[in-house]
Amino acid sequence: MAAGERVAVVGASGAGKSTLLGVVNGSVPPTAGGVRVHGGDPAALRGRELRRLRARTGTIHQHLELVGPLRVVHNVNAGRLGSWSAARALRSLVQPHGLDDVRSALEQVGLADRMFERTDRLSGGERQRVALARVLVQRPDLVLADEPASALDPALADEAMRLLGELAADRGGALLASLHDPALALRHCDRVVGLAAGRVVLDAPAASLTLPELEAFYGVVR
Amino acid sequence: MTAVLAAPPLHRDRRRWAWGLGGLVVLGWSLAGAGLFSGPVLNPSGLRQFGRFAAAALSPAHDAEFLRVLAEATLVTVAYAALGAALAVVLGSLGAVAVSRTTWGRRRAGWTAVRGVLAVPRGLHEAVWGLLLVNVLGLDPWVGVLAIGIPYGAVTAKVFADLLDEVPRGGYEALLASGAGRGTAALYGLLPQAAGGLLSYSFYRLECAVRSAVVLGLIGAGGLGYQLALSFASLRWEQVWAAVYALAALCVLADVGGRAVRRRVAEPRSADGSRPARDRVLVVAGLGSLALVAWSWWFLALSPATLTSARTVDQLSYVLDAAWPPATEGDLLTAIGSAAVDTVQMSVIAIAVATAGAVLLSGVAARRPGTGPARWAAGLAVRLILLLLRAVPPPVWALVLLFVLLPGVLPGALALGVYALGVLGRLVAEASEEVDGRPRAALRASGAPPLGAWLYGVLPALGGPVLALALYRWEVAIRDTVLVGLLGAGGIGVLLSGRIAAFDWAAVTTVLAAIVLLTLAVDLVSERARAALR
Repeated sequence: MAAGERVAVVGASGAGKSTLLGVVNGSVPPTAGGVRVHGGDPAALRGRELRRLRARTGTIHQHLELVGPLRVVHNVNAGRLGSWSAARALRSLVQPHGLDDVRSALEQVGLADRMFERTDRLSGGERQRVALARVLVQRPDLVLADEPASALDPALADEAMRLLGELAADRGGALLASLHDPALALRHCDRVVGLAAGRVVLDAPAASLTLPELEAFYGVVR
Repeated sequence: MTAVLAAPPLHRDRRRWAWGLGGLVVLGWSLAGAGLFSGPVLNPSGLRQFGRFAAAALSPAHDAEFLRVLAEATLVTVAYAALGAALAVVLGSLGAVAVSRTTWGRRRAGWTAVRGVLAVPRGLHEAVWGLLLVNVLGLDPWVGVLAIGIPYGAVTAKVFADLLDEVPRGGYEALLASGAGRGTAALYGLLPQAAGGLLSYSFYRLECAVRSAVVLGLIGAGGLGYQLALSFASLRWEQVWAAVYALAALCVLADVGGRAVRRRVAEPRSADGSRPARDRVLVVAGLGSLALVAWSWWFLALSPATLTSARTVDQLSYVLDAAWPPATEGDLLTAIGSAAVDTVQMSVIAIAVATAGAVLLSGVAARRPGTGPARWAAGLAVRLILLLLRAVPPPVWALVLLFVLLPGVLPGALALGVYALGVLGRLVAEASEEVDGRPRAALRASGAPPLGAWLYGVLPALGGPVLALALYRWEVAIRDTVLVGLLGAGGIGVLLSGRIAAFDWAAVTTVLAAIVLLTLAVDLVSERARAALR
C-alpha cells in the first residue's frame, strides 16, 4: 500500500478480512509469511518499539471494543494512551486532559453533546461514532477499519468513510477498510482487494470496477 | 405399520447423584459424631437460667453509666473495622496485581505459586491472627487492625484479581493494539469495567469487618465484643442484651449503608451527557469512608513505630525461632486428627441446619411486591430475626446454647448453624427474589395450590443457587468453627488456643498447618461440588 492510498477489503464472512487487519496491527501473529508496517514487522518487535509502531496504527474494531462503563470522553482519549505516560493517563481519568481535541473530534462525528455520558448508554450507531472519534484523536499514519459503517445509516456511513479517508490523507497516511457495502467501497476507496478463504482473489483500482461487477463478486463468493 | 416409541429411560446425572449421596452420608456421619443417636444431648437443668436470660431481652440495661461504656465500645469496634477494611483494600489492590492472570499471562506456574501463597493468610480466621499477633505485638491496637487486615487483604486480593480477570478483554486488547502500555491499557480497558464490582466488594468487606471486629473483642481486643463477653461472664443478662442490640444496630447500619452504596454502583443515575457530573451519594460515601479511616487512626492512637520497634522485632524472631521446625510427635498428630474430624462434623451440621432453615424461611423473608400488609409485616419480622441471628457472633450463640445443651460438638455446631442461618437466610431470600416470577404465576393461574406452584415454579430455579450458596457458606463455616473452638466449643480451635496459651510454638505451627490444609480441602471439595451442580 502506498501513502495516501485508500484500500477496501471485500469478501464474504470468514474470508479473513478481520484476520488481515489483526495481522497488520500486531494483535494476531501470522501463521506463515509476514507483514511490514511503517517499515517494521509487528510480529518481530517487542516492548517500546512495538508500542511506538502500534501508536501509529489506528484501528476501528468490528466489535468496537469500547469500554462500556467509561465516559465517552475517556474512551476517546484512550486513543492517545500510546503517547501518554501512565501518570498522565491516571490523572486524565480524574480530570480529563485534552478536552479541546476530544470535543472537536466528537463534533466531527456529531456527538459533542454526549461527551460525559457513559458509553454503554449510547446506541450502536453512536458507539461506532465514538470508536471513530477515538481514532481521530489518535492521529495515526495508518487507519485500519473493520466494518466501520455497519451500524450507521447511509448518510452517516458516507460521512464516516469521508472522515476516515481525510484522516489518512491529511497525514499522508493510508486507509485499509473492510467493507460489506460495495457501493461504499467504490465511492470512498482507490483500490479494492477481494479475499476468499484467506487468499487474494481480486485486486483492482476502484475506477476500473463497476458496481454490478463488484456486486457480482459478492454474489460469487457468497 | 405403526412405530412404537420406547419410553426413554429416566436419565439422571450420575455425577450429581454421587455428590448428593455423598453429602447425605457425610451429614449422617456428622450427626452420629455429634452424639445425636447415642445418649442425651439436652441439659434440662439449664432451662431456668435460659428462661432468665431470655426474659432479659425485654429489659436491656439502659442506665447512663452502662450506655456510656457501650457507646465507647461501639466506637472502638467501628474504628477497628474501618482501619481493618481499609488495610484489606490496600493490601488487596496490591495483591490483585500480583495474582491476576492478566499479570502472569501464560506463565501458569508462577500464577499457581502466588495463589498458593495467598491460601495461608486466607485459611486462618481473624481471631487466630489476633491470638498470634497478641504474642508478637502485645496489647496494642495494631493487633485488631492487622488481624482483620491480613486475612481480609488476602481474600480481597483473590476476589479483586478474579474480578479483573473476568472482565471482557476486547477494550484492553484494542488499547494494546493502538500502542498503549500494559498498565495504561489495564487502567482504561479493564479497571473501569471492574470498578463497580471492586467498589461494591470493598464496602461489603467493611460490613464484614464490623462483625470481625466484634469477634476480636471476644478474644480481648476491646470494643463491643469485649463488653459482651464481660457481661456474659458476670451473668448480667440485661447488659448482654443491651450489647446485643447495639451490635444489631451497628450491623444494620453497616448493612443498609453498604447495600445502598452497592446498589448505587450497580445502577448509576443517568446524567445530562453534555457536562461532567459525579454521583453525589458515591462521592459522599467515598469521602466519608476516608474521613472514617482517618478518625479511626486518631481514635485508636495507632503508632507505626510499634511495628518496627526493637521489642516487636525481638518477639517476632523469638516466636519464629521457636516455631520451626514444627512439632511432629505422634500424640499431637492423633489429637489434630480427631479434632479435625470434630471440626468437619460441626461445620457440616451447621450448614445443614442453616440451609434447611433458610429455604423454609425464604418464602416469607423474600420481598414480593403486590402482597398485603400482613405478608409484608411477617417478611419484615423474619428479616429482623435473621439480622439478629447474624449480628451475634457464633461463640456467643454457643454460650447461649450451653444453657440447654450438654457440652460437646452439638452446641458449637448449632451455634454456627444459627449464625449461618442469619447469613444464608438473607442470601436465599435475595436469590428467590431474583427467580423469575412468571412460571409460578402461570401455575397459580392454572389452579395450582401455593405449595405446588412453589415446588414446580420456584424450587427448580432456586435449587442450584441455594446449594451453591450453602457450599460457599460451608467454606466460611469451617473457618468459623476454628473460632468457636478458640473459645472452647470443641474442634481444632481448642487445640490451637491450648498450644498458644502454653507458648508451645512448634506445636502451634503444626496445628496452623493442619487448619490451612483443612480449609484448603474444604474449599476444594466445595468447588468441585459446585462445578458438578452447574
